[in-house]
Amino acid sequence: MSEASTEQPVELKPLLEYASVQVWMEGLRSHWGGDPEHDDPQRFVIFETFCRRVNRDPDQIVKETTMIKDGQKRIRIKGRNRYAALIDEWQQEIEGSRFERAKWANTVRSFLIHNGVLLQSGLPG
Amino acid sequence: MELKEVIGTRRSIRFFDPDRPVEREKIQKMLEAARLASCAVNAQWQRAVVAFRKDLTDEQFNRLKTPVAALNVDLAPVHIHWFNDLSSVNRIKGSRLRELVDVGALAPTHGWSHKFVDDFVYPQILEPFTSSPGYPVHSTFDVGGAVTQALLTGVDEGLGVCLVTLNAQTLRDVFKVPDEWMPLMTILVGYPAESKDGGGQRPRPPFEELYYEGAYGQPFARDPKVVEELKAAGMIQEPATPHNPARIAEIKSLADRYGLPL
Repeated sequence: MSEASTEQPVELKPLLEYASVQVWMEGLRSHWGGDPEHDDPQRFVIFETFCRRVNRDPDQIVKETTMIKDGQKRIRIKGRNRYAALIDEWQQEIEGSRFERAKWANTVRSFLIHNGVLLQSGLPG
Repeated sequence: MELKEVIGTRRSIRFFDPDRPVEREKIQKMLEAARLASCAVNAQWQRAVVAFRKDLTDEQFNRLKTPVAALNVDLAPVHIHWFNDLSSVNRIKGSRLRELVDVGALAPTHGWSHKFVDDFVYPQILEPFTSSPGYPVHSTFDVGGAVTQALLTGVDEGLGVCLVTLNAQTLRDVFKVPDEWMPLMTILVGYPAESKDGGGQRPRPPFEELYYEGAYGQPFARDPKVVEELKAAGMIQEPATPHNPARIAEIKSLADRYGLPL
């Protein structure tokens, strides 16, 4: 995570090569329609920025917020709380209007939500 | 609205207008409706704490805003938190049943008397029942009926309502309720920011799958004429349909307005 300064910076492949990003795209496509891989040029830029900030690749983020228990996928409560806090913190630091900041943070929330991690943001502060 | 239309119009509203306050008297009407609900042995397990969001302290507000409830808490101007006061039966010891005998609601025609209440009902039935595993279930069922009356009254007053579950320990801590109060559910209240129709009536299992006649396995026959009558009365309304473009557009518009993820 961002506080682990001794870690090597994460090496990211093109985002679409990650299974969790494919799940995200499929979720967006099936729920909202359209072409989520291309309809928002900022989407992957924003998400990659967050991945680098927390020094995790997309699949690692999902792994840290979910787990398999008794053969079923479960949400890791502590992991979700940690990422919810990291996203909130990031949102406060981004420059721009509150809606622009919310857009950046919501991009990451959308990634988690479509990977099955229920997450509510509250209204942009 | 007529009762049937109120029932048909109710939706679990998830997009409230956070800036439009709810009149205090409308909240009172919801509570008055709950108070009049049917209740086994007149024990009155229901309790509620009304929280106007504007009156919550920052500390209270932040504790309620968990990752699974932050938006609910933010958007709804009023939260009615419902509890089951499990101590009710042993505190009143049958006194409210005696009231029912006095007012003629329970009469000797059906075997009821003060003596029966004092000698049998409380000491031999109710008091032991409070120690049984089924007690919280049965008493909570009662509170559910009261909460439903509050919900429907809210709809009748033109409000949006939604039942949600918040963290039980947080509710105990934030609202400092007695230990005997079991946190149940919360009604979020506010004026809907989404359309009253909300994309249509929510999907439900087939009627025949839920209700039986005589015994399990023999579905209660659904008369189409009754269905038509209820459609005319506004109780059965247009059903929500999957991937409804109008509903999708509405949600996208609300997400844009409030800065929410898609």
